[in-house]
Amino acid sequence: MYNYLVRRLGFMLLTLLFVTVITFAVTNILPGDVALLILGPNATDQSIQALQAQLGLDKPLYVQYIDWVLGLLQGDMGTSLRFDEPVAQLIGEKLGRSLLLATAATAIAVFFALPLGVVAAVKQNELPDLFASMFGFIGISIPIFLWGLVFILVFAVWLGLFPTGGYVPPSEDPIGTLTHLVLPASAMGFALTAYIMRMTRSSMLEVLSEEYIKLARAKGMTQRVVVLKHALQNAIIPVITVVAFQFSYAFGGVVVLEEVFFWPGIGRLTLTAIQSRDIPLLQGCIIVVALIYMLSNLTADLLYGYFDPRIRYGGDD
Amino acid sequence: MSTTTPTHDDPSSSSPLLEVRNLRTQFHTESGTVVAANDVSFSLDAGETMGLVGESGAGKSVTARSLLQLIDPPGEIAGGEVIFEGENLLDYSEKQIQRVRGNKIALVPQDPMSSLNPVLTVGEQIIETITHHQGMERDEARAQAIDAMTDVGIPDAAERIDDYPHEFSGGMRQRVLIAIGLSCQPDLIIADEPTTALDVTTQAKILDLLNELQEEKGMGILMITHNLGVVAQTCDTVGVMYAGNLVETAEMHELFRHPQHPYTRGLIDSIPQIDTAYDELPTLDGAMPDLTDLPQGCNFAPRCEYATDACRTGGDPALEPAGPGSSRAACIRTDEIDLRQGYVPDDVERTEKQVDRSGDPLFEVKNLKKYFSAGDGVIGNLSLSRNGGGIPKLERRYVKAVDGISFDIYEGETVGLVGESGCGKSTVARTALKLLEPTDGEVYFDGQPMHEMGDSEVRSLRREMQMVFQDPHSSLNPRKTVGQIVGRAMEKHDIATGEEKRQRVRELLERVGLSASAAGKYPHEFSGGQQQRIAIAHALAVEPKLIVCDEPVSALDVSVQAQILNLLNEIQAEFGLSYLFISHNIGVVRHICDRLAVMYLGKIVEFGSIEQVFDTPFHPYTESLLSAVPHADPTRKSERIFLEGSVPSPLDPPSGCPFQTRCPKKIGEECETVVPDLEEKEAGTGHYLSCHLSIEEMSEHAGFVQSEQAEQSEAQHGD
Ligand SMILES: Nc1ncnc2c1ncn2[C@@H]1O[C@H](COP(=O)(O)OP(=O)(O)OP(=O)(O)O)[C@@H](O)[C@H]1O
Ligand code: SF4
Ligand code: SF4
Ligand SMILES: [Mg+2]
Repeated sequence: MYNYLVRRLGFMLLTLLFVTVITFAVTNILPGDVALLILGPNATDQSIQALQAQLGLDKPLYVQYIDWVLGLLQGDMGTSLRFDEPVAQLIGEKLGRSLLLATAATAIAVFFALPLGVVAAVKQNELPDLFASMFGFIGISIPIFLWGLVFILVFAVWLGLFPTGGYVPPSEDPIGTLTHLVLPASAMGFALTAYIMRMTRSSMLEVLSEEYIKLARAKGMTQRVVVLKHALQNAIIPVITVVAFQFSYAFGGVVVLEEVFFWPGIGRLTLTAIQSRDIPLLQGCIIVVALIYMLSNLTADLLYGYFDPRIRYGGDD
Repeated sequence: MSTTTPTHDDPSSSSPLLEVRNLRTQFHTESGTVVAANDVSFSLDAGETMGLVGESGAGKSVTARSLLQLIDPPGEIAGGEVIFEGENLLDYSEKQIQRVRGNKIALVPQDPMSSLNPVLTVGEQIIETITHHQGMERDEARAQAIDAMTDVGIPDAAERIDDYPHEFSGGMRQRVLIAIGLSCQPDLIIADEPTTALDVTTQAKILDLLNELQEEKGMGILMITHNLGVVAQTCDTVGVMYAGNLVETAEMHELFRHPQHPYTRGLIDSIPQIDTAYDELPTLDGAMPDLTDLPQGCNFAPRCEYATDACRTGGDPALEPAGPGSSRAACIRTDEIDLRQGYVPDDVERTEKQVDRSGDPLFEVKNLKKYFSAGDGVIGNLSLSRNGGGIPKLERRYVKAVDGISFDIYEGETVGLVGESGCGKSTVARTALKLLEPTDGEVYFDGQPMHEMGDSEVRSLRREMQMVFQDPHSSLNPRKTVGQIVGRAMEKHDIATGEEKRQRVRELLERVGLSASAAGKYPHEFSGGQQQRIAIAHALAVEPKLIVCDEPVSALDVSVQAQILNLLNEIQAEFGLSYLFISHNIGVVRHICDRLAVMYLGKIVEFGSIEQVFDTPFHPYTESLLSAVPHADPTRKSERIFLEGSVPSPLDPPSGCPFQTRCPKKIGEECETVVPDLEEKEAGTGHYLSCHLSIEEMSEHAGFVQSEQAEQSEAQHGD
């Protein structure tokens, strides 16, 4: 575990370095002169040059990169061109909301997907399995925003149980935060459930055909013990990877859902940054999303170690 | 049986512990219904060990699992009775049978590597069985689990109980499986090939352990195995299965002395004995029929040398009393034929193969080394270690899989490589052929230094050196026809093309015992033995001088194994080939090799002709290895030499002699500090030994060699 963790962390840092290079390179290739964009089409050459000097854009690219990375290390992500506010502050506001949504969605998904996947595997090719497969198929093939619209229509418009959208900070109204969270989290969770369930099902099926499951049965263990104790603990290991991936997807990748529910998260912020050529903000968003992705993977790695003693003790001197 | 278990209270002592009547288990498959156990009947007494033998696919495991209703769909138990303690287990509901499983009847499965749950501690896996069946408190169950682990010879059981399966070696895991089986003190243990996955030395220990435990606790054992040697060493009675039928049941000595079914005779004869020299092994030609497509009459008729028309047209012969003893056989001619006489190798005629060792060897390996980096490092073989809790430091760690090996092979010669699993046999072969880059050492083929060659030169030399692997199924491309597979090898090395190629493919296929029409079929249409023939044809296609065979018969049944060994011998005589033959099966090696190298922990400990290695003086390791081989002849029980512990990790090999941690003849300090050289103890004999002992000391106490003569007189006595 020791060697394994050190290797994982080292790998993560390398990846992060790579991400900064790519982010910086790509955002600098984007068409459009920033100074021109800020000052508008009527700007004079002098004012443009002055602004470029002020933003540091006249320096060579590698110097700009190093400045930027050094800034990042100190938590300084630069200033947003569009909002004229520190990027770190802008992202900080949305970060909590996006994490909240992603966590809630993932929790809902895991809560439903695990039991469904297990039942589907145990009752392979029987009615529960067919039902679960169909459910999974529908969940995967219908786009996520459509679920959002359906949920709004049914639970907000018709039944009036929840607000149609928006966000209330918990400092103002914790209950309000929750009621606003339910629909977007459920819509996203619903789509994620399908993936996690399919993974759980196939992983369980594989484990259930293992020799040690046969031995557990031969020892006289009941079906309950065989499935929940012997099989699930093994089957969950590959599922963790999928869950970690789904979490980071839910965190930054579902702009369209944030739009549908007017949920001001990282996704929408990224979109705004792209549309307004707000390069510092865009860079900040990408780095934060990448960081969250890596952290959720690291969590997955730690969880592997928890569930799989071969990893926990392997390479430990 | 000194004590009987308290759970077993049998009112009438005459009724058997287990009685199986007309058991029938079938599987519904796409190609039809397979009857894997057809009308199987036998009985087993308390304290008795019954062996169930037969080729793979004969239905042994299905029969055993049926007893506990452990048949999963699409299988079903279609009829019969399993009477245990006066009740029919097949009538039991799932809930009722769960109380029998693991409690009164325990199953010890075959594969120690995959039968333990990797995420639960071994203790938990034993304890849960006890708490589940005996309703004990955890503490009490834990104590009982430690007892069970101690019973099966796991050292420091109390400390190891919380370890996970991957922290145990294969042999130790098998012990854990037996401990699970014993934990509730069952009346019957079903052991499904309990030692097949283990090395001979470990196998010997586990079999002895089972025998001892049985004497102590008096349970019945149903021992499933395909190894007649195991049967001869452990069983009281035997059932022989063929194509789903029980074809013979007999008392064990009676089975070997006077088999009543021709199949039994064939099985016994096919096993190469470690103390007999053969020109050619007797074979059971053909293979077991496909269970979806059984012949009309006796299932064995297509392979039976005694078959008559009556055999082929009548129904399945029933299992009926046969011979003077208590044997039963399913053969209509059993009264007419006498199978007492086994195959006798005509020793007068044994044509001594002449190998000319005067010139240069064809293949020569000098001081070959292959180190693998230990895969758990941070980067490559650099590993962080924190000895004593200090600051972690980077260290280089290696697995010394092959550590300074030298041998040579002459034209027309077969050199064998034996040793326990993990000792580096396969790595020697791969490294010598440069399939793996050697860490150090020299390899000469036909005088050319292969270790100095570049990739392309080596590739063109490959034509002269072919390999045949253990698993023919995975080494043949499933999407190519056999003709394409064999023909492509010829094209690649410019041997033949077009019509000439096709002609030669047909000839080759016929040469290895297949029909020429096999060329148009795909590998999966053939049985394991036939696939190995195809692999041999493929190797022969490029007219090599050397074929490296890595466990070529280990995956095959004994009868098929004998066919392949004979084929290898024939083509060697015909084409003047040389073989490097890797195997862990000592009987096989004895039969096919001219010279033999015994490996231990990446080094050769003994090298010499078959006669030299199989006779005194012995290297202490060779001696224990030979003594552990179970004889497929009950009259020759050998005195086993048990080795302490298990093979040390090649990551951290012992100082001095690599065998010193387990050597029964160790002489103390010298063995611990000085690495013995591999040297000729008597100049000019060509018999190399790596040990500090003198020749006299290496010739002492060769118990199992001497006992043979003694046992022979006993055998005559016994008749
Ligand atoms: N690619 C590899 N990386 C690391 N270690 C290896 C590798 N291949 C083999 N080893 C190690 O080398 C040693 C010898 O392996 P090898 O497969 O040659 O043994 P073997 O005698 O043929 O065993 P078996 O009878 O089980 O086939 C073992 O300890 C094995 O774990
Ligand atoms: S019944 Fe006939 S074919 Fe079958 S084993 Fe006996 S002799 Fe052979
Ligand atoms: S050198 Fe010593 S330890 Fe090694 S085999 Fe000989 S007697 Fe045994
Ligand atoms: Mg091997």
